[in-house]
Amino acid sequence: MPKTPLMQTGEGADDTLHRTVSPEAPARIAIEPGERRGLFGKGADRDRRGRARAQRDRRADRHHTTKRVAFFHYSYYGPVFKFFIEHVLNAEYLDMGEPTRRTLEIGSQHSNDYVCAPFKHIMGAYIEALDAGADVLMQFTGPCRLGYYGELQESILRDMGYDFQMLNFANVPSGSMREYISYCKRIVNPHLSVPVGAANLLACFRMVEKLDTYNDAYLARAGFEVEHGSFAAARARFLRQMNEAASAADIDEAFRSGMAELEALPIDKPADPVRVGLVGEYFTAQDAPSNLHLEDKLLAMHVELARDLNMTSRHLRYNEPNLRRSIADYVTYDMGPTSSLTIASAKKYMEQGFDGIVHLKSSGCTPEIDVMPVLQRLSRDYHVPVLFLSYDSQTSDTGLDTRLEAFYDMIAMRKAR
Amino acid sequence: MTEAYLGVDTGSISTKGVIIDADKNIIARSYLWTEGNPTDAARRVVDELAAQIDTNEIQVVSVGTTGSARRLVGAMLGAQVIKNEITAHAVGTTYLHPNVRTILEIGGQDSKIICVEGGIAVDYAMNTLCAAGTGSFLSSQAHRLGVEVEDFGAIALSSKKPANIAARCTVFAESDLVHKLQVGYSKEDIIAGLCRAVATNYLNNVGKGKKIVAPVVFQGGVSKNIGVVRAFEDALGMEVLVDPDGHLMGAFGAALLAADGPASKRRPFAFDVDDFEFRTREVVCNHCANRCEIICVYKDDDLIDSWGNRCDRGAIRVKPRA
Repeated sequence: MPKTPLMQTGEGADDTLHRTVSPEAPARIAIEPGERRGLFGKGADRDRRGRARAQRDRRADRHHTTKRVAFFHYSYYGPVFKFFIEHVLNAEYLDMGEPTRRTLEIGSQHSNDYVCAPFKHIMGAYIEALDAGADVLMQFTGPCRLGYYGELQESILRDMGYDFQMLNFANVPSGSMREYISYCKRIVNPHLSVPVGAANLLACFRMVEKLDTYNDAYLARAGFEVEHGSFAAARARFLRQMNEAASAADIDEAFRSGMAELEALPIDKPADPVRVGLVGEYFTAQDAPSNLHLEDKLLAMHVELARDLNMTSRHLRYNEPNLRRSIADYVTYDMGPTSSLTIASAKKYMEQGFDGIVHLKSSGCTPEIDVMPVLQRLSRDYHVPVLFLSYDSQTSDTGLDTRLEAFYDMIAMRKAR
Repeated sequence: MTEAYLGVDTGSISTKGVIIDADKNIIARSYLWTEGNPTDAARRVVDELAAQIDTNEIQVVSVGTTGSARRLVGAMLGAQVIKNEITAHAVGTTYLHPNVRTILEIGGQDSKIICVEGGIAVDYAMNTLCAAGTGSFLSSQAHRLGVEVEDFGAIALSSKKPANIAARCTVFAESDLVHKLQVGYSKEDIIAGLCRAVATNYLNNVGKGKKIVAPVVFQGGVSKNIGVVRAFEDALGMEVLVDPDGHLMGAFGAALLAADGPASKRRPFAFDVDDFEFRTREVVCNHCANRCEIICVYKDDDLIDSWGNRCDRGAIRVKPRA
């Protein structure tokens, strides 16, 4: 039987159904486990003439080539995406702010009902971004279904009639830096400067680490604030300052002043507070609008929180075999994107005497479903209760409040005993 | 004049109320259908309870509310304690059965399991996303079979060969049930099969991964169904206790929590809910695209509580109580 091309006449090679994707594509961001390595061989000024030329070109046609790039909302990493787009890709960042209920509604409307909730959140964010005038949408890739989402979302959006370009890192299956650069040049900015971009990419990583460090301190202290709202206000100021950072020095300064302010805020923390560890799926457990602001709800109950899961521990300092060694009694194989991290951090919290664990996942997230029996076994072995929460686009605040309140009552009463 | 405490549990299907005395004995009980109107149901429960005690002798000094309408009914009764139903059930049951290790609970729309060690809850799970196998499922199937749901248990026990009903999903269970009826299964075998399906569905979902240790106490409206009790006993291979006041356990727990509250918050409860009109009004906040629906509760024309806003911008403030 002759092959019938799915492409229609007049469509170019950019058809999402006809991309060359290697079957052995390692579906993840370029950040590999293990040690950090130099990104571009022998240093920044390898090609001075090339850089001068690129700068000249950039100056020449900045006004008609600058593209507006949008990213979906993801946890508190907005400043990182902004920095990446402005200082690595040298394009314009379209800031969409916090997603609202409408974002999820339109996202769900254009998604398969059974797809996991992150897909719907991202879909909604894309539609809102395109309506706000985005030229390019960015999607990263992941070791689960997320790796296919960008392609599917692009197809759906094109079917809806949107005209845009997609910077989908799943389209760089080789993971080689050279290909990432040429891909970014092709889609976003043909004149992007590689040395400047490389230096600023390192600054992005630095910002991720600073944000995560700040958040750890925030989660440990904010539940015990003396003045209601003081911590949330301080964090909003910190994130605003991070958002305005234009260099590595700005990032360090924002972190320094933000941490100083956070640590100076008065708290009233008991000697032995109720402590809860948060574990779970990469998107839902980290992104506050996706988990209905679970962290804020727990902090309002005066709980000390800890969440190991973040970009720093999943990407920048990720060492899966090492994590798995700490849970060797329970797990033999790596089961997926965050499985080892979820189990290892839950076990760590239990060993450290935390009062409870909350496991968050989107409904239907297979890797995290696989984790649940292990967490149940850990719970029995260590006598620490685990609250399992599954989110989909229908999940309501009321149901969540009941479960959280009951969980808090239970661990607090147990502690008082 | 002796002091007493009131607990009201307003669930999706039924509303329960108890009054306990200072020794924590139940001295008045009430159980009636919510009928989609929680404020009216709470009002009727309070009236029924008032009729059972001598209000000249007994003074209710603290009120606790629980159940899915706890906040609304709490505002209406001026409750000192507003607690979720899981905590209330755990507190009530562990008080009456200090040795209990596992509490099974199946209500109208939810089901939960509470694991207890040394008289204190150490773990719990509650159904999420799906209400298959709860009380409302049984009552809708009873309706379909033309049987009163109260008679379900007795009919189920008369069956010798319970039918196998696929009860993972309410919708599919129903089509399976219809199919079995059409091919000629007897009604009692189907009813017994349904009761068994409720028990296995519960153990496979809510009870999954939880260690069920005796003594087991089963409560909630479905615990009144002897067919389901027997199905649990068969599946678990252990005795399952059903307290005669099992359906009141949430209200009892709420009353206990009210009794344990600080003395400074106590206020005589006047049983005068009939003298006021309680209204709710929905306000849609237009500050952002979240469009939070804020519920305002009015006692006559005074705003007494509001909730539903996700941030402070949408807050509708209530004047502090004088």
